[in-house]
Amino acid sequence: MASNGIKDRVAIVGMGCTPFGERWDKSGEDLLVDAAKDVYASANVEPDAVDAYWLGTMGSGTSGLMLSEALKLPYKPVTRLENMCATGSEAMRNAAYAVASGAYDLVMAIGVEKLKDSGYSGLVTSRPPDDGTSASMTAPAMFSLLAPAYAKKYGVDEGELKEVISRIAWKNHCNGAKNPKAQFRKEVPMERIQNSPRVAGMFGIFDCSGVSDGSAAAILCRAEDAHKYTDSPIFIKALSFAAGPAEGAYSQDYDFTTFQEVVASAQDAYGQAGVANPREEISMAEVHDCFTATELVLMEDLGFSARGEGWKDVLGGRFDGDGAQPVNPDGGLKSFGHPIGASGLRMMYEMWLQLRGEAGERQIAEPKLGLTHNLGGQPGRCVSFVSIVGK
Amino acid sequence: MSERFFPDSMPAPLASATTLPWWEAAAEHRLVVQRCTSCEHTRHPPAPICPECRSGESDWKEVSGRGEVYTFTIVHRPIAAGQELPYLVAVIALEGSGGLRIISNLVGVDPGEVAIGLPVEVVWEEMSADLAIPRFRPVSEEEPR
Ligand SMILES: [Zn+2]
Repeated sequence: MASNGIKDRVAIVGMGCTPFGERWDKSGEDLLVDAAKDVYASANVEPDAVDAYWLGTMGSGTSGLMLSEALKLPYKPVTRLENMCATGSEAMRNAAYAVASGAYDLVMAIGVEKLKDSGYSGLVTSRPPDDGTSASMTAPAMFSLLAPAYAKKYGVDEGELKEVISRIAWKNHCNGAKNPKAQFRKEVPMERIQNSPRVAGMFGIFDCSGVSDGSAAAILCRAEDAHKYTDSPIFIKALSFAAGPAEGAYSQDYDFTTFQEVVASAQDAYGQAGVANPREEISMAEVHDCFTATELVLMEDLGFSARGEGWKDVLGGRFDGDGAQPVNPDGGLKSFGHPIGASGLRMMYEMWLQLRGEAGERQIAEPKLGLTHNLGGQPGRCVSFVSIVGK
Repeated sequence: MSERFFPDSMPAPLASATTLPWWEAAAEHRLVVQRCTSCEHTRHPPAPICPECRSGESDWKEVSGRGEVYTFTIVHRPIAAGQELPYLVAVIALEGSGGLRIISNLVGVDPGEVAIGLPVEVVWEEMSADLAIPRFRPVSEEEPR
């Protein structure tokens, strides 16, 4: 995969994020206004100073008008985009390239999703009924296919693997309990996680991420301008995106213990950032834990754990909030919640807080490089985003 | 007489120009895979170009309908109204298909008896006069491995 990257050419100079959760009191437009107010204040700018906008929403609105109407923007360029559950990251990636190119000086990426008033629990899609020659499955069912495949390939007893994935949920709930903006702010005992009602395969309720409303936003500029807006900007070291040919689930070459799209985007990002050993060089990460087994597989695809060893690192506490390489220190999709279009920017919000020493109870000691990973789709058929940021 | 496993209320597939021949074969209870006429590479689900050589020319190859369970899951929550729960979804490695898998339902088997490697065969469920959907059940003569 070829990319030139924009290492250290673009800075994030402000971030905002609403509380995530069942926001019956707020419409999608209300959430956009709240996140925008938060990010304007964070970057110390008036709305008129921002030259162009990228709005990510999977299904809560259409066109740039959703944002320009909500924020009453005076004839600014607003792009609305969608890339499944990686929509928020895709908004930021496109906004970053716009300032890097010199086309604009100051831009905003903002993501939103309003899932709770859809009359439907789970994800809504605008797709027509499936053609039927490919499968139409629930999201938990698709991702539940990872667990038995992983257990069999690496000789892990299924009972033991259940403990591994439960521990991922337990860890993300412990982290979310310390996060005032998270949807689920409670620690949950391992026993309760392990015995929760089954949803699909090995997954119970606690193996699934939160269905939420929320919005998050970033303001970006070229690196040389960053200190006009803040004393402690963070800098983009890598942005990578991969969409696969979607052969995985139907080809006997694929074994359901990896996402090839994640491997490709991670390798590209490490190349851009000059990271040779991600296990040692990446201080912390926010990853796409849509389901617990997804986070396990991601630890190996991102190179944080050797193949077949991720489950041992999970049990050993390596990825805990106080572990050697904290993963999802803000609670992740599991506990912070997953309003689709906002999630990628929510991940970056935690990197912003951590790198600036503003994460409070969750603060990681002296983080250097942070990674965000955002996934859309399912095993064998997905899009994957990886970013690396630092000071 | 066709056996029935799922309710009429299930959303019906909507064939596209690319997939229509696949559904026409299904209506005749023939399971086919698309085959590139330039490089012989097979593919599923049907798609306009070959993932191997990107040729747009293809024909259809009939397969036996036998295969084995590569992996599977048990779904405890519905995707559509009126579904009986739980139901089984499996990724099935198709015999003689050139290395293809199909995702379908396992029927006529207790969830506790499904295992990776279980030999299965196609069973056609006639949802209406011109719509047959392939489901899979354990091969009758063999013991599950
Ligand atoms: Zn070909």
